[in-house]
Amino acid sequence: MNDTIDDPHSLLGPYVVGAVDEVDRQLFENHLRGCTECREECARMSDAVATLVDAEAVAPPATLRAAVMGRAAQTAQLPPTVVGDAGSHGPRKRRRWPLVGAAAAAVIAVTGIGAVLATADDAPDASALEREVMMVSSAPDAHTMELSLGSSHLVMSERMGGVALMGLDAPAPAEGMEYQLWLVLDDGQMMAGPTFMPDADGKFMAMMHTDFKDVTEFEITEEPRGGSAVPTGEMVAAVSL
Amino acid sequence: MNSQRHLRVVGDAAAPAASPTAPAEGALSRSAVIGQLLVRVGRGDESAFDELYTATAASVFGVALRVVRDRAIAEEVAQDVLVEVWRRAARYRPEAGSGRTWILTMAHRRAIDRVRSEQAHTDRLRAHGSTITGSHDEPDTVVDMAHREWEVRRVREGLALLTERQREALDLAFAKGFTHREVAASLGIPLGTAKARIRDGLIKLRDAWEEER
Ligand SMILES: [Zn+2]
Repeated sequence: MNDTIDDPHSLLGPYVVGAVDEVDRQLFENHLRGCTECREECARMSDAVATLVDAEAVAPPATLRAAVMGRAAQTAQLPPTVVGDAGSHGPRKRRRWPLVGAAAAAVIAVTGIGAVLATADDAPDASALEREVMMVSSAPDAHTMELSLGSSHLVMSERMGGVALMGLDAPAPAEGMEYQLWLVLDDGQMMAGPTFMPDADGKFMAMMHTDFKDVTEFEITEEPRGGSAVPTGEMVAAVSL
Repeated sequence: MNSQRHLRVVGDAAAPAASPTAPAEGALSRSAVIGQLLVRVGRGDESAFDELYTATAASVFGVALRVVRDRAIAEEVAQDVLVEVWRRAARYRPEAGSGRTWILTMAHRRAIDRVRSEQAHTDRLRAHGSTITGSHDEPDTVVDMAHREWEVRRVREGLALLTERQREALDLAFAKGFTHREVAASLGIPLGTAKARIRDGLIKLRDAWEEER
């Protein structure tokens, strides 16, 4: 337990100077998107860090310029980010994941599903989701596993009774599809989890309250928007317990 | 502990203590020059990229060297960062901050990422306390010297405003790439205290350096 749970703002200073691990970095970047105050403060403090960096200036080796120019000449530039593009990142309504079936619920106690998408157009929900994700990832028993969806992590905590997903650089799912988390039980049953959609930068965050009794694996599939009751799409990532 | 031992300030310690005077025009607009170059680089302008290299490579390499403490690795990091600047230039958004800050903080973070992947957590904690005698004494031939002198004095005066504890915490984070948890563990202080020292130190630096702009 630590005060990160109560106040994501306390990560601002450490974040600006790079003193955060990957999980905290992703958490705080998600917070930044919904917090104007932190964004402004972050920009001002970052200028101070840049001044510290300038103070370290040292003549680079003579070979550096040629190496950089040589590589740049062979490196395609990324196109500008299109802000507010239509298509797959257009406005979305907030969705709630439908309750799972009674039989399935008897096997695994799903205590509530916060399938809220932490994208810019869901800003009002972002902080609640973020707080829940922080609680899971800051839990003393938090267990972090890598997820092969861009640069992503899955964090589970028995004590907090939840699993959180967060990532960067995740590829966009096919048109009309989004990602969905599944819990695979030891008898092969698949428990439906929340759906989520990376933003234009490939960032995403999702959260599910659950216990981990009989869970052997987490899987992520592509499903039609709104999610499915049973997996229908291609599996894009999996983590075994 | 010497106030300037960790967060390094280059230049002669006996430099005049007068309050720094910003050099006129050219040097002062370093940030603006970098911003304009970056916009041109974003349109694929190779000569702008060459100028941008001249303006930033010493800082990019210097901070990498400071953090990774190995010239060969620092050169790799600097190369990666500068190529990444070329690659991502079109995505730089001036409204989100200055181009100088965008490039230099990226360099700092990449250096930290590199040192974290190179060294095990425990190794770094163990190394804390040993005096680092890095190769910081190379002459700086790239950065405009008049501006450097002003900058050095400005940086030194800003750092002098920090308490020893703030400087110590900030240094572990900035120069060694410690996370705030590692800073807390290594100094034997609560996590909240570590975070507060880093934040308060940065606020002082921000205030000291902002008002001169
Ligand atoms: Zn905030």
